[in-house]
Amino acid sequence: MGMGKLISLAEAVRRFSWDGMQYASGAALPVGSDAVVFGRELVRQGRRDLHAVFHASSQQLNLLAAAGAVAKVECGFSGLEVFGFANGLRRAVETGRLLLEDYSNLAMALRFLGGALNWPFVPATTNIGSDLQYRSAFSGEGRPKIPPVRDPFSGREIGAFSPLRPDVAAIHVTLADVAGNAIMLGTEWSRFELSRAAKRVVVIADAIVDQDCMRQFPNLVRIPDIIVEAVVHWPFAAWPQASPGMYDVDEEHMVLMNKALATDEGTASYLQTYVRGYQDLDGYLDMIGRNRVEVLSRSETSFLVDPFRRWIVPPEHLAGLRGEAA
Amino acid sequence: MSAAGYSRQEMMAIATGREIKDGELAIFGVGLSMLAGYFAKEHHAPNVRAMTEGGVFGATPVGGLPWGIECNRISANATSFTNALDALGFLVASGRCDVGIIGAAQVDRFGNVNTTGIWEGEIGADYRPPKTRLPGAGGANDIACGAKRTVIMVTHEPKRFAERVTYLTSPGYLDGGDSRDRFGFQGGGPSAIVTTLGILRPHPDTREFWLDSWYPFSSADEIRANTGWDLKAFDHAREVTEPSLAELAALRRVDQTGALRKEK
Repeated sequence: MGMGKLISLAEAVRRFSWDGMQYASGAALPVGSDAVVFGRELVRQGRRDLHAVFHASSQQLNLLAAAGAVAKVECGFSGLEVFGFANGLRRAVETGRLLLEDYSNLAMALRFLGGALNWPFVPATTNIGSDLQYRSAFSGEGRPKIPPVRDPFSGREIGAFSPLRPDVAAIHVTLADVAGNAIMLGTEWSRFELSRAAKRVVVIADAIVDQDCMRQFPNLVRIPDIIVEAVVHWPFAAWPQASPGMYDVDEEHMVLMNKALATDEGTASYLQTYVRGYQDLDGYLDMIGRNRVEVLSRSETSFLVDPFRRWIVPPEHLAGLRGEAA
Repeated sequence: MSAAGYSRQEMMAIATGREIKDGELAIFGVGLSMLAGYFAKEHHAPNVRAMTEGGVFGATPVGGLPWGIECNRISANATSFTNALDALGFLVASGRCDVGIIGAAQVDRFGNVNTTGIWEGEIGADYRPPKTRLPGAGGANDIACGAKRTVIMVTHEPKRFAERVTYLTSPGYLDGGDSRDRFGFQGGGPSAIVTTLGILRPHPDTREFWLDSWYPFSSADEIRANTGWDLKAFDHAREVTEPSLAELAALRRVDQTGALRKEK
């Protein structure tokens, strides 16, 4: 396979992140597919002042906020669904350490779409008439948030949404080949739009497959290689969240993590154990616990991966594919 | 758990589920909203066309209440996975969705919902951080703007039932009367606020929420005492029908893990 873009997680973060950048991830839902491990590596490498753009919050944003890596956030939802408030994010907002600009979930998808299409703005009738339109955490920057605009056809006033074009998007996918073609199982949420809106895309895949897999299921490859800069292979990349077909949500760690991020001491301890507590993928899986990895992998959704299994590249064969053209 | 053998939360879920009609295109959120919706599907609306805002279609939860609207518990038997733009945009903002069920941390007399934060006093003209940050809008604002009608589900406590929400996250009837109409939303607004004590519905002219019904275990006085505005009652206000054995059985098949039976 030519055009290999497979690089290590550490190298991906070194090459594709910098202090102050507009960083997008979490284009999945709060307990599902997100490149949570990319956020752990951002913290390990000490990135600061990130302008985070997350369609919906996830444990990644919760961690980045608790670790003080984020200065401002734009998102549509800032909780962890049934797991409750995202305590790290919540604390950073309440203490004023972080500015959170609120939109709705449709508004964030529309703003990615606007960025992908390079539209000057996106017209819509959602969010108008509410405090999502009238109140801005970024008001100090002097830019309107959702200014009213007149529909030239009906004459009525609607909302103008600013498009998003993040510097980098770290997108979790289920399967990728080394060129960057990617398949997402489960809802895409807004990963399709984000992959076109971002200036650079890094995909983080739970498994690497031979390109023949993509040739068998081209309709399912919603992120094609031509828009992908780098591919990272990292099983359990969304842990403790779920990856449909691959593993279930780790309920115990979701609770433990969110509880830890509720205090400074808990956060320091969490960073020590679960962010700096591994050196490589083997160490990461040891940290989760091999037994737990087994249990979480026995998902009711496992059958979703069955059509693709024959193309999954065994981990021991990946070393030879790494960094060919990177 | 009441003497009759069901909890207030179960009564609320059943009363909410009764608002859903067979065949409707419906969008359910996570938690109570999903339980109420799937109760309706299990009991009296087998052909309800349910989706989640992530774009999960044709699925029924397995193994208990999903942790999120894309959790593997709702991804194990879907017939289609698409995306947020499809579910919230093509199917809700377009005006195609019949009904959505949304939750609230705070709701006011015109059915406006706050799920963003709690501030002490007025927020004021400039931004200032909330005392308590809540989860934000999610898809609820989009559902409140776009679904033909919404049902708001909320625990009935004075702190949640305010004369005016501190932060207006999802629009009900805004300032009442025709004030919602000038925004040209596709959706018509909330048709009911279903609570742990009863049901409120909007007055057809003023759009202020009035008392419509109470439960076998509650009363008009108890509801008034827990509502932060001068709650008026419709002439036709009455007690709702107690949950039938069939309704309770259907709800408990959906609520396998007993989330609603734990009395709060």
